[in-house]
Amino acid sequence: MAAAGYRKGLVDLSKGQISREIFVNDEIYAQEQERLFACAWLFVGHESQIPNPGDFFVSGMGEESVILCRDRPTGQARGLKAHGEIHVFLNSCRHRGMKVCRYDEGNTPVFTCPYHGWSYGADGKLVGVPYFREAYHSKLDRSQWGLVEVAQLCNYKGAIWATWDPTAPSFHEYLGDFARYLDLTLDSWDGGEGGIEVLGGIQKWLIPCNWKFPAENFCGDSYHNISHRSVDLVGIGPSGSGRRDMRERQMARRLQVSFYERGHQTGVYVLPHGQPTPPAYAHSPVVSEYFAHCEEQRRKKHGEWGRVIGSPGEVFPNIALHPRQPRTIAVWQPRGAHQTECWRWYFVDKAAPQEVKNFLRDYYIRYSGPAGMTEQDDMENWNYAHAASRGVIARRHPYSYEQGQGYEIANYEFEGLRIPGTVMDITEAKSSEHNLRNLYRRWSDFMEARSWDELASWRRADQDHDIVRAAE
Amino acid sequence: MSELVNTRELTPGMQIVLVDGAVAEIVSNPLDGVWVFARYLSSPVDPAIVGSEEMIFAQDIAAVRRER
Repeated sequence: MAAAGYRKGLVDLSKGQISREIFVNDEIYAQEQERLFACAWLFVGHESQIPNPGDFFVSGMGEESVILCRDRPTGQARGLKAHGEIHVFLNSCRHRGMKVCRYDEGNTPVFTCPYHGWSYGADGKLVGVPYFREAYHSKLDRSQWGLVEVAQLCNYKGAIWATWDPTAPSFHEYLGDFARYLDLTLDSWDGGEGGIEVLGGIQKWLIPCNWKFPAENFCGDSYHNISHRSVDLVGIGPSGSGRRDMRERQMARRLQVSFYERGHQTGVYVLPHGQPTPPAYAHSPVVSEYFAHCEEQRRKKHGEWGRVIGSPGEVFPNIALHPRQPRTIAVWQPRGAHQTECWRWYFVDKAAPQEVKNFLRDYYIRYSGPAGMTEQDDMENWNYAHAASRGVIARRHPYSYEQGQGYEIANYEFEGLRIPGTVMDITEAKSSEHNLRNLYRRWSDFMEARSWDELASWRRADQDHDIVRAAE
Repeated sequence: MSELVNTRELTPGMQIVLVDGAVAEIVSNPLDGVWVFARYLSSPVDPAIVGSEEMIFAQDIAAVRRER
């Protein structure tokens, strides 16, 4: 008999085994919407998508359609906030629920519901109610019927994050020290704070698998590199071989880094002390020179931390980071237990020469997205794995996540550089499922927790520390 | 019967006649097909609103005023 919903034991990290139920069970999927997506911080978009007052971008938070927009400064706020404030609203009319915005992006003075005509300003306030005087006798309290706004919003280095949960910790607390790894995607290539912009439009496409298949893949599953062998043979990389420039990776320590209490994880490469970053992007002298200059600047700005080179990672629960080649963020939007809508943002330095942006655009779309050769390989795996895991017999047999169990290192250091997080050094081991286990560890935390008091376990550790210090 | 007004064709400066007999001048048009922003020029029902700017619902627009 198939299990009804989530229960303890489906994620058994003592054995390194995870039940297929968590991927294919409709009831567990419904529970995830309440317990994860209504509580966690989620990526909504980037400020470069909405530079002007009235600009909007329709995004998603779990199953919810949301509007990311910049309001119009009015009255006394005009002088103080000339660019308008950023908001994230539920894209649903308060009167009967119709979407108030059915475009992907644009600029508008108002969001008008096409059903009965309720209309909202870019600040979410209800500004237009048909027959307000006649049918409502001017008695409807319009101030109570604005668009539903997220409980918390954070503009972190231009990336917009939001949560529906007013009790969730701040985004900075949610990230913890993982911020240093997220910065590898959000800072400009020379290490400048948040100097990136979105390149082109956002790619969106549907795939027939559970959202956790792509999520775990981007946690740092390098075991599947065999799937990409054909792409490596074609040589789509920016220097004409493989799918990336590999010299910097070949001379570095190769690590998987997990944050147990937060659920974030990433791969990184750490160059030896005193070793300059080798040249890359050999297919274009202009691009190669640009990145050589950026690398030099980045190493100067960040000192020893500049030895750290980004690799795919994941901000819990469903935000995939691809910091280097190519530089993108993907969100795995849940669309039922058996379907995922992939949304992929591509980033370049705002200040980069146009030739660099053009070169990167070509490289990015060769690599990622629905037409990207590497992502096509991945989708084949996720889609068929999901389909082959739905049957009654298949669901009786768990997946194995045993690689590297027991080889985690709490205070990892390489040639004088301390690496935040719990580390698995896979330079010699080649592969590990350390980061994948971390995703499901945190996933089961969320599925079992009753509140953020339970989830914010680091606060208890801080309190214990304070008690010990007070006793001393 | 008057012709149905296509609100998307209303541009700033045009004058509209509302179903209650008021006359208003278009200030801006969000082109959503539902609302226009207009300033009241006259209102037989509520003279106090003359000069004020309001969002006008498309169903309340009776006609475009062609002659002044």
